[in-house]
Amino acid sequence: MNQPVPTDSEITSQPEPGIKAQQLSRMLREILTRVGPLITLLLLSAYLSFATPHFLTLSNLTNVIRQSSITAILAVGQTLVIISAGIDLSVGAVAALSACVAAVMMTQQIHVGGLTFGPLSFWIGLPIALVVGLIGGWLNGFVTTRGRIPDFISTLGTLAIFRGIGLIITGGLPVPSHLTATELKGYLPETMIWMGAGSVLGIPVPGLIALIMVIIGWFILRYTTFGRAVFAVGGNRDAARVSGINIDRTKLVVYSVCGVMCAVGGFVLAGRLNSANALMADEENLRSIAAVVIGGTNLFGGEGGVFGSLIGALIMGILANGLNLLNVSAFWQRIIQGVVIIFVVVFDQWRRRRLIR
Amino acid sequence: MVSSQPLLQLEKIDKSFPGVHALDHVDFDLYEGEVHVLLGENGAGKSTLVKIISGSLPKDSGRIIVRGKEIHQMDPERSRELGIGMVYQELSLVPSLTVAENIFLGRLPLTRLGTVDWLEMRGQAESSLGELGVQINPELRVSQLDVAEQQLTEIARVLSKEPQILLLDEPTSALTDTERARLFEIIMKLRERGVGIIYISHHLAEVPLVGQRVTVMRDGTVIGTLPVEQAGEDTLINMMVGRQLTEQYPKEPAQVGSPALRVENLSVNGVLHDLSCEVRHGEILGIFGLMGAGQEEFTQGIFGLLQLSSGQIFVNGNTVKIRKPSDAIRHGLGLLTRDRRQSLVPILPISPNITLASMSQLPLYHKLDLRQENLSAGRYVSELRIVPPILDRPVLYLSGGNQQKVVLARWLFSEAKVLIFDEPTRGIDVGAKSEVFNLMNQLTKRGVGIIMISSEMLEILAMADRILVLRAGRFTAEFNAGEATQEKLLRNAS
Repeated sequence: MNQPVPTDSEITSQPEPGIKAQQLSRMLREILTRVGPLITLLLLSAYLSFATPHFLTLSNLTNVIRQSSITAILAVGQTLVIISAGIDLSVGAVAALSACVAAVMMTQQIHVGGLTFGPLSFWIGLPIALVVGLIGGWLNGFVTTRGRIPDFISTLGTLAIFRGIGLIITGGLPVPSHLTATELKGYLPETMIWMGAGSVLGIPVPGLIALIMVIIGWFILRYTTFGRAVFAVGGNRDAARVSGINIDRTKLVVYSVCGVMCAVGGFVLAGRLNSANALMADEENLRSIAAVVIGGTNLFGGEGGVFGSLIGALIMGILANGLNLLNVSAFWQRIIQGVVIIFVVVFDQWRRRRLIR
Repeated sequence: MVSSQPLLQLEKIDKSFPGVHALDHVDFDLYEGEVHVLLGENGAGKSTLVKIISGSLPKDSGRIIVRGKEIHQMDPERSRELGIGMVYQELSLVPSLTVAENIFLGRLPLTRLGTVDWLEMRGQAESSLGELGVQINPELRVSQLDVAEQQLTEIARVLSKEPQILLLDEPTSALTDTERARLFEIIMKLRERGVGIIYISHHLAEVPLVGQRVTVMRDGTVIGTLPVEQAGEDTLINMMVGRQLTEQYPKEPAQVGSPALRVENLSVNGVLHDLSCEVRHGEILGIFGLMGAGQEEFTQGIFGLLQLSSGQIFVNGNTVKIRKPSDAIRHGLGLLTRDRRQSLVPILPISPNITLASMSQLPLYHKLDLRQENLSAGRYVSELRIVPPILDRPVLYLSGGNQQKVVLARWLFSEAKVLIFDEPTRGIDVGAKSEVFNLMNQLTKRGVGIIMISSEMLEILAMADRILVLRAGRFTAEFNAGEATQEKLLRNAS
């Protein structure tokens, strides 16, 4: 870097030693924010390794990755939404709906008018799931921007709508169910099951998919004009507007991308469960939001990133897994998860207020 | 002096905000039955000082003494107990409540059952407003009032608490001459009752009308306190400005070229009426108006932030359609908003803030070249001398003047040919001010046309090649550089 020669006025405005120390401590705090989630993850893992002999086993760890990866994939979409100062309460519902639509089409014959087609192959089913996710996400964005209503209300509404549509399509039954399984080719495609349950060189496929989604999300946020617009809209709406950024269009795309991520997550989840149903992934709203916030993304927008959310998803996964291993009842687990998310947000906001000071 | 012991005494009050030393060891006192005028340019520290007295801002150090007793912890509640009442510059009314409810906010009269005594409240509200000599229906919602009526409501609210120390922060900025005269009568009456009044203003002409003593502040320090008899306008201006105009406003004329931006018959329903004007390449067009004359709507209208009801905009002689800010940016316009918080994304570092407007012109899927971005941003950072020159640091840590330079760098980067400066020196210190003016000079030399909107007469008189005066949404006068004086501007603006 070629430093410009300081002029008199620059010298006088150089920070004094006291301010330098302040800067140093601020830098330390910023570094701590970045690696904080990672340290939490390591401490939690270390504790569980001592607390239970079952934690640090290969089969348990792959299991944790399998469980966390769905949260991680949804959290990538949720990260984009939250950085843009929104929130998506419908991620679980979009995931379930797109999985259901694809699963129905891949397991049953569809009759439209006189036409009969299907069951469709995996290579048509996957794009269909993605398109359903895209439409669902776009609808979230459309309702929010056109209706000029808060994100949490629009996505709360679409949450109910998507679950309802899912129930209609599946008749409230799992797909494939004992009813559909008797029909021609009543099982989910092998490749779909591999996506959820398979492994490559000992690494679970869902984990690899989650990693790919995280990298895509990272690239979008860091290296595209769209990603920059997301930060600007979330960081200061007015400034984004004055700078010529189309806020409505940005939000529309944010929600659409989030919808596609949800579809990927739903598809992988259905593959893992070897079945799709309209009510699955109902805890993923809370988990994905918790993962994003634990990962250091500001709940009120403008800053954050997907790698943090990945670590957040792992923390949520390990927490659930650890509680299972420690024989904590599933009912208590819900309470603990709720407490964790509230605690994390309170701590996060307190820390940010101090940082601004 | 009216009485030996001051009603209020401030010793060595000190207050800093990030990047600004707002008050530097300020001493101040106020006696019973006295109107003490606090005079100074915008950003001199007047508002900060009275906010510390009213307890809405904490002081960093110094002593506040009320009737001989030191008050260690001043907060709004404590100041109310001490009989301190404040009329804020920014209105602090609740728009969705009625006038009467606002006047009695927080101390509604109750019936014996503990419910609100609406009849009593209405009656008292009417009498407080009547004392001010204004006809406002206390049942109206504040949002239905115009700015002057709101200001009078605010004053009535504070007076109904019968304060012993009254702080008035530019109370006449939205008032007509008769309303102002009425307010001065009330101030006289309050004085007779022994109330001490601190009266903030930057209208020099008001000083002998209301005050007994005047204190001039500049850049956070007290320059001096004088009895009004000794405070002639020239003396006061000298104290306020403190240096020769040329030194503070280093205007350098530039080659004026062809018309860069022309607007014709620009109207915004109810606010702007048929505005036409033109700014040429290399020219600074000043637009002067008192608060609320429509300046903000004018800039927003040109920049596509506000729906125009009619009007045409020409850039370099070609008619253009500007429906949203990105249209304005595409046609080479740039806007430095009145409030920098409307321009900057505080948490983002310098580089993305500089490139934001250019970036918004690209398709959403365009790949960013972060290295190139930092290189270009770095060029502007050293050219505009933004300190500290740390590119990856959030701009929220920069001082006001440096933040303003980041916004300016944004429009240099987008190669804007017409820049609208809306109150460019608001909230930045004097050193940074002359730097901003120097940058304006450099811009005009490069052929940029500048629209400079300001309510600071001195800076607009010094910097503008031409001045238009805006009053209630209409241009009322036009002056060339040198023709205009403060008196002429004020006469046409109010």
